[in-house]
Amino acid sequence: MSSLSRRNFMKLGMAGSALLASGEGLKSSALAGTMKLQMGGKDFSPKTGSERKAIPTACWSCVTRCAAMGFVEDGRLVKMESNPASIRTEGKMCSKGQSGLQDVYFPDRILYPMKRVGERGEGKWKRISWDNALAELGARMKKLRDDGHPEKFMFHYGRMKASSSKLIKSLFLKGYGTKTIGGHTSICEGGKWTAHELTWGGHYDNWDFDKTDFVLNFGSNVLECHTNHIPVSHRLIRAKVERGVRIVTFDVRLSNTAAKSDEWQPIKPGTDCAVILAMCNVVLNKGLYKGKGEAFMKFVRATDNHDASVADKIANLKKHCAKYTPAWASKISGVSASKIESLAVEYATAKSAVLVSYRGTAAHYNGNEAERACQMLASLTGNIDNPGGRCKAVGAGWEYPHLPKSSKAPVTKGLKVTAGHPDKGHPQHSAFPSHGMCQSVLKMIKSGHAGRPEIYMWYCYNPVYVNGENDENREIMKTIPYLVTSNIVYDESSKLADLILPDATYLERYDWEDMVDPNQIGEHYIRQALVKPLGESEDFGDTCIKLAEQMGFPLGVKSKKEFVQKSCDMTPGVKEAGGFAYMQKHGVWHPADKKPYYYRYKNVIPASATSKDGVIYDDSVGVYWNWKKTKAKSEAEAKKTGYTHTKNAAKGYVGQKIGNTVYEVFKPDKIPKTGYLELYSALMKEKGFNPLPTWMEAPEHKAMGSDDLILTTYKVAVHIHSRSSHRKWASELYHDNPGWINTKTAAARGISDGDRIKVKSRISEIETTARVTEKIVPGVIAISYHVGREESGRYGSGKKSPLGHDNDPDLKNMWWKTHGQHPNFIIPNTPDPVNGQQAWMDTVVKVTKA
Amino acid sequence: MGKTDTLSRRDLLKTGGAVAAGVAAAGLVPSVTEAAAKDARYAMVIDLRRCIGCRGCTVACKSEYGVALGRWSAVIKNVEFGKFPDTQKHFLPRLCNHCAGDAGKDGPPCVEKCPENSRGKRMKLGKTRYRTGATYKRPDGMILMDMQYCIGCYKCIEACPYGARSIDPFVKLDRSDKENDLGVGKCTFCQHRVDKGIAPSCVNTCQGGARIFGDLSDPGSEVSKLVKEFNLEKNRNKATLLPDEKTMPHVFYIDPSRILARYKIDKKTKEKEFSDHFE
Repeated sequence: MSSLSRRNFMKLGMAGSALLASGEGLKSSALAGTMKLQMGGKDFSPKTGSERKAIPTACWSCVTRCAAMGFVEDGRLVKMESNPASIRTEGKMCSKGQSGLQDVYFPDRILYPMKRVGERGEGKWKRISWDNALAELGARMKKLRDDGHPEKFMFHYGRMKASSSKLIKSLFLKGYGTKTIGGHTSICEGGKWTAHELTWGGHYDNWDFDKTDFVLNFGSNVLECHTNHIPVSHRLIRAKVERGVRIVTFDVRLSNTAAKSDEWQPIKPGTDCAVILAMCNVVLNKGLYKGKGEAFMKFVRATDNHDASVADKIANLKKHCAKYTPAWASKISGVSASKIESLAVEYATAKSAVLVSYRGTAAHYNGNEAERACQMLASLTGNIDNPGGRCKAVGAGWEYPHLPKSSKAPVTKGLKVTAGHPDKGHPQHSAFPSHGMCQSVLKMIKSGHAGRPEIYMWYCYNPVYVNGENDENREIMKTIPYLVTSNIVYDESSKLADLILPDATYLERYDWEDMVDPNQIGEHYIRQALVKPLGESEDFGDTCIKLAEQMGFPLGVKSKKEFVQKSCDMTPGVKEAGGFAYMQKHGVWHPADKKPYYYRYKNVIPASATSKDGVIYDDSVGVYWNWKKTKAKSEAEAKKTGYTHTKNAAKGYVGQKIGNTVYEVFKPDKIPKTGYLELYSALMKEKGFNPLPTWMEAPEHKAMGSDDLILTTYKVAVHIHSRSSHRKWASELYHDNPGWINTKTAAARGISDGDRIKVKSRISEIETTARVTEKIVPGVIAISYHVGREESGRYGSGKKSPLGHDNDPDLKNMWWKTHGQHPNFIIPNTPDPVNGQQAWMDTVVKVTKA
Repeated sequence: MGKTDTLSRRDLLKTGGAVAAGVAAAGLVPSVTEAAAKDARYAMVIDLRRCIGCRGCTVACKSEYGVALGRWSAVIKNVEFGKFPDTQKHFLPRLCNHCAGDAGKDGPPCVEKCPENSRGKRMKLGKTRYRTGATYKRPDGMILMDMQYCIGCYKCIEACPYGARSIDPFVKLDRSDKENDLGVGKCTFCQHRVDKGIAPSCVNTCQGGARIFGDLSDPGSEVSKLVKEFNLEKNRNKATLLPDEKTMPHVFYIDPSRILARYKIDKKTKEKEFSDHFE
């Protein structure tokens, strides 16, 4: 694309007409064939015709974090486009990326430090100075640190990636000494990643739409809201239209992705796992694994013997999947047996095929098993890490300045509240919560079994609103001694805070970025400030630098910008290209050879690597590993404890012996699996689960009455989970979220389109509006989140935020009066028992006319 | 235009340095052979197979112009039909059609009905002379407006059968003989970008590549090729909106699923219909 846009220089036959914009007559021709348009990279004011200043940067609306271009006119950011030089986006940007500039200018933005003066949640605030705000927070934090209890400072973040994450976690929080750090991944798709860590190690699967011949999609709304949205969505529709690639989408709802697919396969929520297992059954029984599937099985563990032959592996999987017949899955899922069979054949016999899965598959009680089943189906057909298949993702690797040794924390501790309850059998327990259990953090704090934080700070996160059981979240938060956040929006959680710091928006700060490249090459890109932070807002990264300085453990950089600059100047490749100066000018950098990575699992580990000091061989699993990189104290202890049970063993992983060769195969990440792609997981067996991917029905679904429905939630294309309702262009497009209900399901309850309805779960009840539609399976009610805001300013909730402004002339044009109803109030915080993923899509409800 | 031309022009740009408006100085403008000298005719082809309903265009347009809440220059309409499980949902992007107007007429209804349609400046585009006005047609087919001349009679809004025009709450009219206070807004094909060699904002952002913009008079352009391949001009009854109105739209649709035939615009609600609500 970059070369295209260079080529697409305009031919200036039409240049004269430019004068029109400035009110002068045309002096030259605007004739046929005289003009070739450049797709982007420049923009002009429609009023004055003058060129707007283009600054390369990166989006931060969703986690895709596309390389972007901001356009500034008279010091004001007026437009966001993509950066045409990005090989990920190829110059495209979604509506969310474009409405992002309203993060800067929405009239209810928090622009000054605010201290609570009323009761928690009462909404009474006073503006204070930064000096006072930092003095208050710093003193409280310092006392805990000096007392030897840094763990009583809890930090809980939502979106925090790349340089923001490194600076805040690896420098600031490390230097402070708290390990009480919670993430939000388990309320997103963390369970899918755990399933990856159990099977092929490090997470994230890239879907190679540019090269694939067939797309089989389970529960991903690729065209509206995937975590690598623009890079893959524009490639998916291109594959369909330009190469005739067939797309089949399983979804409970006719999403835009399902609508643009060649086939929409409606499916009962939580049953994707059954259909995928049945597809494995078909592939095994019809021998469709022969060829590339069979060849791939060499790198797969599928029996209790790590050294089993491929024939033994196939035989074991065949035996395991025998009960998962298409007829069996059909009864569970509502998808016909013949359809399951024909799609399995189509997937297995395509030259290359990509198996797509996301939250529709993963955010269930049985999500771990559904994702492991996906890995099994892809493995059996050889569609793993191959051109056109389900590939191990490639992102950009960055070097960055580390915490100075002199700033090391004297005490490092953590409260065990971030990954659920330790007792097996506890409702908030899971076996491998490798991405924490965000949704149970407040419950753990309430229970007090692992201690309670004195200070709870959250960042780019809204604990009350984004987890289930909103009412309970609010009540528990009120019991925590000190609450503080850095935020741009006055939301459901910040209204409870004792202190709110005004964060800079992503368009006013610096970062380096690294999100996955669908080309399997990798894109280094940066975010740079397009305008000066509004009011007294400040990048939270800079606030951390100041706080660390104040508490006596300087982070070694004076600003976030300096951190980013140094990273650019020390990262191989970027450095040689010109470092920070190059990145400021171009925004993106790619390696010159642009070599895509496939089949990395086939890399052979040389003898020199297995004979290195500290490397030992564990013949019970066939793994070479370096005990010195683990927590083992001696070689003897390492050998005795073995690879699987030595702490941090995965960090010492060297290679997997297969036959007489040692391969890199699939490196373990957070979970000490072997090097094989493990369809058979000895680790799961140890925890009492079936080692092979297995059907598990949600207990709630087993006990469903005939009148019950299942509540599912979903995202729409124009909003970002919980962070965009304040954007007027997003909320103008979507501000109400009636519950989708099938015509027959509605009729059985006497419900008509537009009726007010009650939706009641075992924990609570909400009232909303019915959208009676043919676009959803019977037996389900689907309610999006994003809206139903109690706060977030006038565009999101109709309510002015404290210290909000009236300086947006569009306020008087705001025409919508409804703001929707949030479904999370009635969704219990329930984990997948294997991986801790919040089971968003399983809630059993009764729906009645209000 | 030959390849050599292109190359030399590119070199010219490099040495000249200045791009866009700055190069407009007459001396730098290449001479086009008289034989090829035909006015450009801008048009858009919308490939409905490629539209995924993302609303990138809707917001790009809002952002480009700072369009007020409650009014739109680019929208997407959902067209849905069928019973579960054979339900279908399609997306239909809409904008001003930049109509040519029926044969024998000077322009489309909006221009025809504008009492101030030729009260503006005398201009020349290529070899063609024209005058601007409150609403006027440029020789290259763009339907443009100049609010210096608008009196706020809103006859153009009434005349447009598509509802593509609306009152712009951000434009105050200052003529002493005005009938109302506010001006009129609609899509301009991003004339301010196109005139400087940059694709319209909605085209730039369209991730499906569903919007293809260019010059119909240039047989080598992408729009010309598509119009030819899908027979869009001759088949305009099935490739444009409201063909019975004989407005000769220059926004063409590639529509293999026959979506246009299912989409109705009611005269009474045409303006309300020209709005965008994501479902």
